[in-house]
Amino acid sequence: MHRTSLRIHPDDTVATLLDTRTELTTHGDALPSRIGIPFGHKAALVAMRRGDPVVKYGVVIGHATADITPGEHVHVHNVE
Amino acid sequence: MSTTSSEAVGCGWRRADGRVGIRNHIVVLSTVALTDRLATLAGASVEGVLTIAPAFERGLRGRDAALQERVVNAIVRHPNTGAVLLLAHDPAAARGLETRFAEAATASGPARALRTISLMEAGGYEAALEASVEALETLRAATRAPAGDALALADLSVALECGGSDATSSACANPAIGRFVDRLVAAGGTAIVSETAEFIGAEAIVRERASDAAVAERVLACLGRVERLMGEDGENYRGVNPTAENIEAGLTTLVEKSMGAICKIGSSSIAGCLDYAEAPAVPGLHFMDTPFFSPVSLTGMMAAGCQLTLFGMGVFNPSGNPLTPTVKVCGNPQTLAAWGSEIDVDVSGVIDGGLSPGGAGEAVAEAVRAVVSGELTRAERRGEGQVIVPRSVPAL
Repeated sequence: MHRTSLRIHPDDTVATLLDTRTELTTHGDALPSRIGIPFGHKAALVAMRRGDPVVKYGVVIGHATADITPGEHVHVHNVE
Repeated sequence: MSTTSSEAVGCGWRRADGRVGIRNHIVVLSTVALTDRLATLAGASVEGVLTIAPAFERGLRGRDAALQERVVNAIVRHPNTGAVLLLAHDPAAARGLETRFAEAATASGPARALRTISLMEAGGYEAALEASVEALETLRAATRAPAGDALALADLSVALECGGSDATSSACANPAIGRFVDRLVAAGGTAIVSETAEFIGAEAIVRERASDAAVAERVLACLGRVERLMGEDGENYRGVNPTAENIEAGLTTLVEKSMGAICKIGSSSIAGCLDYAEAPAVPGLHFMDTPFFSPVSLTGMMAAGCQLTLFGMGVFNPSGNPLTPTVKVCGNPQTLAAWGSEIDVDVSGVIDGGLSPGGAGEAVAEAVRAVVSGELTRAERRGEGQVIVPRSVPAL
């Protein structure tokens, strides 16, 4: 079973998890997601290096402040 | 569904100035904080009276004084105001208000019933309260006519707001509102979107959607001003906007929040850029320059004559406006489970595909028809809503 997620734009580097089943390890079409990412939060779709743009809606919403692996929780702890 | 400017959405009250109210409120308005308590006591004594006591001040200067005056004017002449009792402290102020707001009937509609009372002139608190209650009873007797004037989409001016933004706001609630706005604007109606800070990051969309270069420049100048304000004091605004609850809900940056907020304007072009509480001169979608705190931005859009607010909600936010019924649209299943009693439209079905985006827009349109036809919104039932005018300089 995969968590319901939303990738808004083809260029996006994150997807939004719209599913409360935080124990699952995949989302969308079997993409990886870390256990415990809360409903409404974002998972990385690609590997990002510190300083890389974080893209949602096809626009840069911020920059990574740490290296991020695919499936990792993307939020205020690693984006500015 | 096809739309024409004559698409009827319900019945309202056509006023002397030609605008149509979807409510026929008997308002008691305290024009200065000194009469707020009197307004509250009098309003509570007469059934069906809407009390507006916003702690208005004396000694305001420049723009602050002008804005407060603009909002007082707007409340008295608001299309949803059927009759009004104005409370003033001193007799001179009461006489001034009487002169300022006296109106005559026109071919469009009847003159709005109006009374003014000066607290000082009443010669005693009990006498002032008695006179206020009596005035409200008289106004109520004079405004009992049921809604009898057909109201089309073209007669509607709708305020667009979002609060408690989260990921579902951009996935469900705001796009559903946007679809209704497309229909409203196509039919010759008016929509106003505000909260300048929440357009930061959406500059490209503003350029693309402004009806001409001058409108784009005016909107972008507003965004630039707010961005400079946020930059010049060395504060980090994370936790202020996006707010702590936005961050907890999963929104990371202001740009991310802005891109979600802008979904509620639909796909129409931006016809104009309005100053705070300024009424648009032409129909269509307008941007209004306001602070981001929703009771303040809602006051600005109410003062521009909006008869109704569409409010996209992620996590719960109780905001409303007393004079402009607020329709809460929500797509977050957890918010709906806990706060369903405060929500008018459930569009959470968009998440799992049970509700199509078009169906979500139709659900908003259906709610608008119901509210225009007199059904009370959840915020109205709760008596929720504030009038708050922004301040920029110290008062004397």
